Amino acid sequence: MASGTEPSREDIAERVRREVDRALKRNIKGLEFLTAGRQDVGAMKKELVHREGTAMLYRFTPVVDEIYRLPLLIVSPPSNKGYIFDLAPGQSMVEYLLQRGYDVFNLDWAPPRHDESHLGLADYVDRFIPDSMARIEEITGERELTLAGYCMGGTLATIHTALHSGPEAQGAAANRVTNLLLFATPIDFATMRLFQTWADQRHFDVDMMVERLGVIPPELMLGAFDLARPANRTAGRMHLWTNMWNDEFVRSYRMFDRWAAETLPVPGEYFREQIKKLMWDNGLVNDRLEVAGRIAHLSSITCPILNIIAQHDHVVSREAAGPLMTLTGSTDREEIISKGGHVSLVAGPAALRRLWPLIDDWLGKRSV
Amino acid sequence: MTDKPFDPVAAWADMVQKWEQEINGWSAKMTDNEQFGALVGNVSRIQLVVQRMVAEQMESMLTTLAMPTKAQVEELAERMAGIEDSIDRLRLAIEARVLVPGNAPVDAAPAPVEPKRTRKPPVKG
Repeated sequence: MASGTEPSREDIAERVRREVDRALKRNIKGLEFLTAGRQDVGAMKKELVHREGTAMLYRFTPVVDEIYRLPLLIVSPPSNKGYIFDLAPGQSMVEYLLQRGYDVFNLDWAPPRHDESHLGLADYVDRFIPDSMARIEEITGERELTLAGYCMGGTLATIHTALHSGPEAQGAAANRVTNLLLFATPIDFATMRLFQTWADQRHFDVDMMVERLGVIPPELMLGAFDLARPANRTAGRMHLWTNMWNDEFVRSYRMFDRWAAETLPVPGEYFREQIKKLMWDNGLVNDRLEVAGRIAHLSSITCPILNIIAQHDHVVSREAAGPLMTLTGSTDREEIISKGGHVSLVAGPAALRRLWPLIDDWLGKRSV
Repeated sequence: MTDKPFDPVAAWADMVQKWEQEINGWSAKMTDNEQFGALVGNVSRIQLVVQRMVAEQMESMLTTLAMPTKAQVEELAERMAGIEDSIDRLRLAIEARVLVPGNAPVDAAPAPVEPKRTRKPPVKG
């Protein structure tokens, strides 16, 4: 096959020179990589403003003189650290939102202690989230806010909103959520095939596991993710070696690697309820998820919803997040399908150019 | 037909990507059945039992050697986490008291000025 563009001798020499240069850099930087400490993470100044054991509420310091009226509370998934939203300057969703005038809070989690193994769904959606909202009101003077969540943090935000919305909702937490912003949020757990197989009701003894362990170690959850994509770690290392000459790539790899390695344990009771009520009973979709004696009806959610899904998400598919667009009572619902995978929605450099401006467009006019 | 000259590094990256997709696809097929669910369930159960037996043996050995066991180290870590939690709560309580008018010490730094909450989205032309 004639290409018509046979490389010249100079071209070949240049490419050989470049590859030799990269090979040398790979070896030097590879050694640096192996001996380096933990990669620093976090771009923006933040302050702890509330704490209840495992629950830690941070406020990121606003960076502009005039901000939107409504605060934004982002709920981290209980099994992951919240610095994924604020990895590094230029690769931080929090930095982007602060620069565009949002008052950003993050409900993050410390590893639960053994005396917190009894914490269940009700503690998360009926205590930690409402207590954070009350503290935000003390600080900002605003009763209403935008509630956001990523992955299981999004599920908790959805359950909270379902329990505390509508004319029948009572108490201090009632009808505070003015907008719901959800990233890769599982709702229809029946569509999560691999997790269904992994936690097959006929064979998976969740009660024994919780009773034996108390707090569920992260290795257990990481095992399920590795089963879903067994080649990812090895392929990731191969890509790392190929790009070892590229400082940006290595820095980004180390940040994500640190985040994945720092997966958190979760309280046993929370894990038990997640498996039984969400994974096995698919309670949100079947309209029978009971939390502290009340049913969380998706149809009770009437506030505006922005449902963001990753096109190549191997954890939460479009079908898994789909009921947010069909079963909720809101008439103002939008869905964005963004290129990339599960994590790149909230931390990928491409999201900065493509996705986050769309979020700003949607949220800005609903935050006044 | 492409005019791009052969790039061995790009070809390697492409090959790794294809290999990754194939292995992941193969795994998805292998694991999508009840037998696999049963296997995972059994392995988890056996793992828990073995883990407990090993932990008990190890604990008695460490006790004989007068060394701290994993459970004791974990207990210590939890106490540290508890102390950290208490310090955070104390700090927050003190800060909340200081913010009440008249309670702040005379040499205290002034509270940071809150930004105005009057921002409007930019008008698109």
